Parts: sequence; structure tokens; C-alpha cells
Amino acid sequence: MDFSLNGDDSKALVRFDPRTKLFIFLACGVTSLYTYSGLYILLFAGAVCGVLALSGKPWTALKGFLLFAVALYIKEAVDHAGSSASVVVLIVSVLTTIVLYSLPTILSILLIVQTTRISQFLSALTAMHLPIKAVIPIAMLFRFIPTVQDEWNGIRKAMAFRGISLSFGSVLRHPGKTIEYVLVPLLFSTIGVMEELAAAALARGMDIDVKRSSFEEVRLHAADYIVMLLFAGLSTTIVVLVTTKGAAGL
Amino acid sequence: MAKKELTQTAQVSDKKLRTKDLIYAGAFGAIYIVLMLLVVLGTSAIPVLYIIAPFTVGVVCATVYELCVLKVRKFGPALILGVLFALVACSGNVLGMVLAVLAAVVAELIIMAGKYKSKKMFLLSFLAFNLNMVCPYTMLYFHRDEFLARSVSFYGQTFADELAKYAINGLAFIQIALALVGAGIGVLIASKLIRKHFEKANIV
Repeated sequence: MDFSLNGDDSKALVRFDPRTKLFIFLACGVTSLYTYSGLYILLFAGAVCGVLALSGKPWTALKGFLLFAVALYIKEAVDHAGSSASVVVLIVSVLTTIVLYSLPTILSILLIVQTTRISQFLSALTAMHLPIKAVIPIAMLFRFIPTVQDEWNGIRKAMAFRGISLSFGSVLRHPGKTIEYVLVPLLFSTIGVMEELAAAALARGMDIDVKRSSFEEVRLHAADYIVMLLFAGLSTTIVVLVTTKGAAGL
Repeated sequence: MAKKELTQTAQVSDKKLRTKDLIYAGAFGAIYIVLMLLVVLGTSAIPVLYIIAPFTVGVVCATVYELCVLKVRKFGPALILGVLFALVACSGNVLGMVLAVLAAVVAELIIMAGKYKSKKMFLLSFLAFNLNMVCPYTMLYFHRDEFLARSVSFYGQTFADELAKYAINGLAFIQIALALVGAGIGVLIASKLIRKHFEKANIV
């Protein structure tokens, strides 16, 4: 999972609209609340991976799908092995569930972050007639997740260099110190990035209250409608099946 | 020195949210959510820790929240943070989403009562804000059986049985208390860290 800073859609077979990608993200959020086993969720994850592959990230999509399938297989195997309440069974089933629960959402975030440029994202959100006060925070949220990850990796390396480990034991022994050692450099470096971004936005005239024009052409094409319908259909099927038949119905 | 005074008066007279403030709010929102997810996913393997997540998140995330509101000092950042939180943490749970946004509004009102100057009010507002950590659990309070049935398929029978032991009737109040205590400890850490590091660097 590496989130690259700038999205790149130059290798994309189909260029999906950012609004479609946001729709997929929302569908993942709703669906993963309802189910995490069975054939339907595999179909759902497959669909997310398919869109990711079409958007120019086939290898990420393949890796994500394989990880999902393996986790699903292990979970089913553990579930059918019997109900011995040992600690190992508990830990394995919880770990696989975390993967099954979060992977579709993570893949859809990857889809947004890795294959969308921030200017595309901004103009798509503006085209949805959202007020600028909502557009900028949402765009920043997606723009900043990779930055946080990047800074975090740097901090971990710097800490290892000074012989401060971030292992489970040391976190337990010195919780207060760990919070200070992690949070303070993280906040300092990200505040630096924020100030640069604010200056860049100011220089681009984001502060004036005029309708902004954009080079980016955002329009929903036939492919966007097909994908949105597909995900709406899959999500509603899963939600309806779970609410009528119960989680075991799948 | 004169320059610093100039920027400060400009900040006070400027009450509307500018693009810069929106960028700060969105970016701090990203940090807050990443940390919150790290803490919740990192501890959710053990049922007890899953239940006391409002406490742990309050302790860890208070500093991020305080820096955000202290940096902007206008009406809005806590609300934006709350809405982003609600979108990520309570998606699919409308009641939880509304309550989470309400908690953020209360936090904004507390800051407003301090006229965007009183540091105590800034610190106090996190106590209200952190109540949003209770909102994802509203399912557990009001639809307990459905929630437990779901967590059987989520985490397996063993986990659900463990969880059912803790899902007692007064759980909502216990979790609210945990959220408040966690926020209190978090705020103490935050004010200490802000005094020790961020005020010296002229960041807030």
C-alpha cells in the first residue's frame, strides 16, 4: 500500500470521473458495514479491483484481489473447522476480518488518490455544486492521507536512527513518551506542508469569491453511468439480502 | 515585533473562514482520522479495548484537535473536523452521524463562549468533541441483538460472545464517561505538549 502523492491516469484504459470514484468509495463504506463473507463480497471486491485495473493500476488491483481472496478463504476455513474457542482461532479470525472489512475501502481510497489529480478532483466537486467551504476540506482530506503516511515513514526511520523503537512492548511501557515522540514531529512537519499548500492556494487565487474556470473537463460518460449502476445494484442487493435474511443468508 | 502585532490584529478582525483556514481544517482532519483509525484498528482485536476505544482515541487525538482549533481561531474548524469524522466513522449509521455532528456543534459553541481567546474554553471543547467517538456504537445501544448478530459474522462467535459480556445495559453511560475521562487526559497532554513545543515555535 503506497499512496503516491500525485495521481496519474496516463495509463488508464477508461478515464472515470472523480464523482464515480467517490460513489464507489461511499458504496464500499456502506457495504462493508453489512457483510464480510460469502460470494457477494468477493464479487464486490472484484468489481472495485476491476475499476482500479481499468484506471491504470492493474498490478495494485491484482495484489488487492489476491489478498482479499486469500483472507476470505482462511476465514471460511477457520469458520468451518469447528468452534474450538482457542486464542489462535480468535486472533486469526479477527485479523482476517480486519482485512476483509477494510480492504475494499482502502482499495477505493487508492483508486481516488492514485488515479485522480487534485485539480480534477476539485473541478469535479465544484461541478457537484458543493460550496467551496465543503470542497476544500474534502479534497484536502484525500490529498493529505498520503502526506501523513510519508511523514510517518520518515519519523519512524529517524526514530530508529536514534535507537527509539516503536515495538508493541515499548509502546505499552511508555505510552506518554510514545505519543510525544510520534505526534510532535508529525504535527510539526505536516504544519509545514499545510502552510506551503495554503500559500500555493493563495497564489492560485482560491481566495476570491468568483466562479473559477478550469482546464479540466469533467463530464460523466457512459462508462461512469454503467459503473455507478453496477455498484448501486451490488450494494443494494447485499444490504437487502442481509436485512431480510440475516447475515447468514449469504 | 510590529509585524507580528499587525498579523494578529488582522486575524482577529477577520472572522470569516478563508481558504487557508479550510486547508488547515481539512489537513488536520486527515491526521485526526488516520490516527483514530490506527488506534481503533490496532486495538480492536481485543473486545475490551474495542469497547474503551473512546478513551484511547481521546488520549491520542486531543493534541491534533487542539492544534487545529488553536491555529484557526474562528467558527468552523471543529465543525469541519466533526463532519469529516462522521463521514468516515459513521457511514451507514444515520443516527450516529447526526449525533457526531451535534457533538462538534456543541464543541464550537463552547469555543464561541470563550470568544475565540480563552485557552481554557479551547481545551474544554474537546470534552464535548470527543463524545463523537461514542456515536459509532449507537448501533450497540439501540439495536443490540442485531449488532451482536452482525458481529458474529464479522468477528466470529467467540468474539461476539466476549463482546456480549460487555454489552450491558448501562454501556452507553460507561462509554460516555470513558470518552470524557479520555478527553480529559488527552487535553492535559495536549496543553503540556503545546506549551512545551508549539508555542515556542510560534505555531499557535
